[in-house]
Parts: sequence; structure tokens; C-alpha cells
Amino acid sequence: MSNILVTENVTKKFEGLVAVNKANIVVKENSFTLLIGPNGSGKTTLINCCTGILKPTSGRVMLGDTDITGWKPHQIYDVGFVRTFQIPLPFIGLTVLDNVLGAMRNIGESPVKAISKRTWVEEEEKNMIHAMEILAKVGLDKHWNLPSGALGAAQLKLLEVAKGLSSGAKIIALDEPIGGVDPASAHEILSHVAELKSEGLTFLVVEHRIDIAAPFADYIYAMDLGTIISEGPPEQVLNDPKVIEVYIGKGVEAC
Amino acid sequence: MTTKNGMITKIKDYMLLREVMVILVILALLTFLFTSRGVPIILTIFIDFAIFAIITMSLNLETGYTGIPQFGRVAAVIVGAFAVGSIPGRIMARFMGFPWGIEYASDTVNFKVVPQITALLASNWLLSLGFLVLSLTVAALSGAAIGWLISRPAIRLKEAYLGISLLAFGDFFMWVGHNWKGMVGGSVPVNVPDPFRIFAGNRFTIIVLVIFTIAFLVFVFLNKLTKSPFGRSLRMIRDNDMAAAAAGKNIVTVRTRSLVIGSALAAIGGGLYVLYVGSVASIGFSRLTFTFWPWAFMMLGGIGSNIGVLLGVFLLCILRTMIVIFRSQWFGFLLVVGIDPLWLEFTLMGAVIIGVILFLPYGLVPEKIEPMLPANRVKRVLAGRQ
Repeated sequence: MSNILVTENVTKKFEGLVAVNKANIVVKENSFTLLIGPNGSGKTTLINCCTGILKPTSGRVMLGDTDITGWKPHQIYDVGFVRTFQIPLPFIGLTVLDNVLGAMRNIGESPVKAISKRTWVEEEEKNMIHAMEILAKVGLDKHWNLPSGALGAAQLKLLEVAKGLSSGAKIIALDEPIGGVDPASAHEILSHVAELKSEGLTFLVVEHRIDIAAPFADYIYAMDLGTIISEGPPEQVLNDPKVIEVYIGKGVEAC
Repeated sequence: MTTKNGMITKIKDYMLLREVMVILVILALLTFLFTSRGVPIILTIFIDFAIFAIITMSLNLETGYTGIPQFGRVAAVIVGAFAVGSIPGRIMARFMGFPWGIEYASDTVNFKVVPQITALLASNWLLSLGFLVLSLTVAALSGAAIGWLISRPAIRLKEAYLGISLLAFGDFFMWVGHNWKGMVGGSVPVNVPDPFRIFAGNRFTIIVLVIFTIAFLVFVFLNKLTKSPFGRSLRMIRDNDMAAAAAGKNIVTVRTRSLVIGSALAAIGGGLYVLYVGSVASIGFSRLTFTFWPWAFMMLGGIGSNIGVLLGVFLLCILRTMIVIFRSQWFGFLLVVGIDPLWLEFTLMGAVIIGVILFLPYGLVPEKIEPMLPANRVKRVLAGRQ
């Protein structure tokens, strides 16, 4: 498997605070790479640096052979890398369906084509069929016509995942896709992600719920205070004393 | 599920009822004005309505759909007015062998040249039509250019900062026009050749028809534009620009497009206003009339709802005209307590804005949240899934 996403010494400083410190991660093509770490360890900041929401202070982000460091989010979307947000950011003036459709491409986004319905309506219909399939997979197909503002917190989370999955990207960064979602649905979402992985997609997932997410992971990176403290296959990282320490504190001897 | 559907239907009925009620109120007021004052006042209201409908719908595209706090609507309107006041007349003057440079705008030359141009236009309907089309094209192009120019420094700002810069742009253009004698006469109004003179006695009625038709076309155009994937991108950026960027939308491009289209339409509104009035006085294009009134119309009608905006404009144009006509007759008593009814027009605008914010935050006809795909296609997709 080749490397699809590589960060080389990515550092992000906010004034004096070093949020991410020389992070080197490698996401292999067609893998489920899990990024774990306690609150404030810099996971989301790292994702933000990779997807153009933030500009890294130093270091490089490579997508395949392309250097995407400092690109704008829509440019990164164009080369096939999308992300979802930890705090759902729905478009409240749109239906659930259009939230998902908005993450897809349609020729009618150009104002010249938009006024002539013929040019975009076929593509839109095809997109809608695809969007409804994705909504069904996250269990939101019954609510397709609701304003997205009417959804509950967990449903918004699912909508966020659906937006990420619909984009047709080859690599998707999911920022806490199952936070606040009940265990059964959480498992279902991740199973769906695994299914998409088998179709050839790559996932970089930030998640706290290690118990649910770890069984799906191929490779895990653990972060603390902005640095990668451990990496490897799940069993190895989860049994790493450093990882256990940052998650549940020092062992009995240290007390 | 049935109760839910029942509720949705109820809400839909309620909304339809609102539209019908507003239309009834408008008709009642129009009937009252018609019986008490006759046809001319109705035509004046129609012209007011149509011009402000164009301007307010363009504002709605930028503010209601794209989320740009457009406090400088007057900028594009004024540029459209200047363009119509300065360019087509000069082209005519050039061909007829009159002075067409800076002198064209000086009052001593202007008041001699313009009537001769108008006389020539009145002799040939093709020439009149050509002049009208040329004027509107020039207005739209200048508006689009100014929209693009304004968007360059402004587009990277957000919210209040963007609003203030746009507000400043609006006043900037007014003062440029007021002091630049060579363009449209500065503080002395410049006359505009009249393409409608050919209709002689029916001039007024034809103007109403023409402006009405253009307003209707703008309405159709904006409805198509906003109920499309482009309209969806606008709303995505309005609701959350960061999430829209992550979904692949180029925020700067989409916002610029919205500003360019909106400004071109507003400039057409300004150009039509100038053709109707027959002269350009830059000081007359105040931010009160061409920024804050459209804001009040839009807020009353429903932000993000084209049909709502139309109703809001119509209702307030009628109320405004009624106040102007009847203020001394009905509100003369206010003078006793030292309030001049002359200012009631402005009080009305303030009252409307406060009332809308308190009691009707979504306006008379709130934005409809519905799929961009036409309903029959949606049904087909849903049927295909069963």
C-alpha cells in the first residue's frame, strides 16, 4: 500500500502555545487510521492543518505526490481530501438532503448554468439518489425533508458524517464521528465506514471512544500535548504504557 | 407520522394564509387610494414598487441568500444612475455633433443639448428602444464592475467589518458624484434624454409597464438563480462559511459572484429610476432611501424569500406614499406637541424595523426550506427507492 497522506514535522503555534509539535503521521492508502489522545492533545488542530482550515506554522503536508501545505479548503477538496467537523456545522437554511447534496459537485453551481434548469437537473437527480443511499446508511433517510436545524445533536453528528461520505473523496478525515452517539448506532456508522474502506476509500479518524473504534483500526497514532507519543497496530499502541498513562494516569507505584 | 404530516400541512396552510392576507391588505389600501385620489397615485406607487422591488431583491440576493451585510446598496444604485446619466446621452451627443466631453455635464450646455436628443429619440421608436437598451446595458455593466471592485477589498472581511466598509463605499460614490462636475454635473442635476417621450401622453403608463416587466424578469431570474445548486452554495456560505469551504465551495468566488450579480441588478434599478425621473442629482441618492429603505422592505417581507420581499416592498411603498399624502391631514395634530408630521415617513421605517425584529423575525413570508430539485423529480427518486 502506498502512502496517501504524509505530514512531515507539522507544527502549529498559537502565540506561545504549541498545539502541534513536529507531528509526523503517515496514512496508508485504503486504511483506517485512528488518531487518539486526551482532550487538548492537538488531534483536531492537526486535522485542521491537513485540510486547510489552519495553516501550519512549519512542516509539510503531502497528499500523494502533491504538497498541499497551506492550500485553501476548497482546493484540498478538489484533490480528493475532505473532512468533517467535531462540532456539527449544519447548513440550517437547507433540508437534510440538501446538506448532503451541497457536499457534492454539480454543474449548476455556476450562476450561468444555474438559471437553465436543464443543465443541472439530471445530475442533481443522480446526486439525490446517491445522497438518499448515504442518508439511509446513517439512518437519516426518513428525515430527508426536514430543515437540518430541526435535527437532534446525535442526528447532526450523523449528518456531518453523511456530508463527509457523500463528497466522493478518496481520503476522508472524520473528526469524532461517533462522539455523543449511542453505542449501537456508533457501531453501525463505523461498520459503514469499514464497508466504504473495502470499496477503496481511506479514512483518518479522530475518536475518543477507543473501545468502539479500535477494532476497526489498521493503525493508531496517539497524541499528547501536541506530539505523537506512540504509533503502531492497535494492540501495540493500546498496551503502550505511555498511552495508558496519558489516558488513565500514572500507575499505582507513582502515587 | 400522520400527526407530523398534519402539522406540516397546517404550517404550510398558515403560511399561505399569511401571503393571502398581505395581498388582501395591499389590495384594500390600493382601492382606498384609488377611490380617494385616482389613477396617477396608483401609477406612482407601481413605479416606486417596481424600482424598489428590483433594488430590494438584489439586496436579498446578497444579504438574504449569501449573508453579506450589504449596507452599501446605494453604491450600485448610484453607479447605475451615474452611468445612465453620463454615458448614453454623451454617445448621442457625439453622433449629433454636440459637445460631449466634460462640457456635456455643465448646466448651460446640458439643458440645451438634452432636449434636442430627446426630440430626436421621440422621432424614431427604434432609436428610443435602442437608447433604453443601451442605458440599461451600460447600467448593468457598470454595476457589475463596481460590484467586483468593491468585492476585492471587502470580501475578505466578515460581519460588522464588512458591513461598515460597504456602508462607506455607498457614501463614497455619492460624494464623488456630488463633487465631480464633469461626470453628472456635481451639485447641479444633469438632465437625461427621455426614451419614453415618443409615447407623449401615455409616457407615464408605458414607463410603469416597462419597469414592471423588468422587475418581473428580475424576479423570475432570481428565483431560478436561488433555487439551484448555485443558490444552495450561497446558502451554505451564509449558514457556515467554514463548513462550506470544507464542502468544496470557493467562498471568495461565490461571494464575488453574488456581489457582482446583485450590484448589476441594483444598478439597473438605479438606471430605471433616472430614466423615469429624467435627471440625476447625486445628492438625492441617500443611503436612507437606497440602503435603509430596502433593508426595511426586505426585513418586513422575509429575508431569503423573493416573494416575501415583493410583498414587503409593495406594502411599505403604499404606506409610505399614504403617509406623504395624508400626513398633514391626519397627523397635523402632532404639531401641537411640537412634532412635525413631515418626519413621520422616517418614523415609519424605524417602527417597521423594530416591529419586525420583535414580532416577525422571519418576516411576512419566511424563507422556505425545500429541496433545490423540482418536486416531481424528488417524488420520482423517492418512488424509485421503495
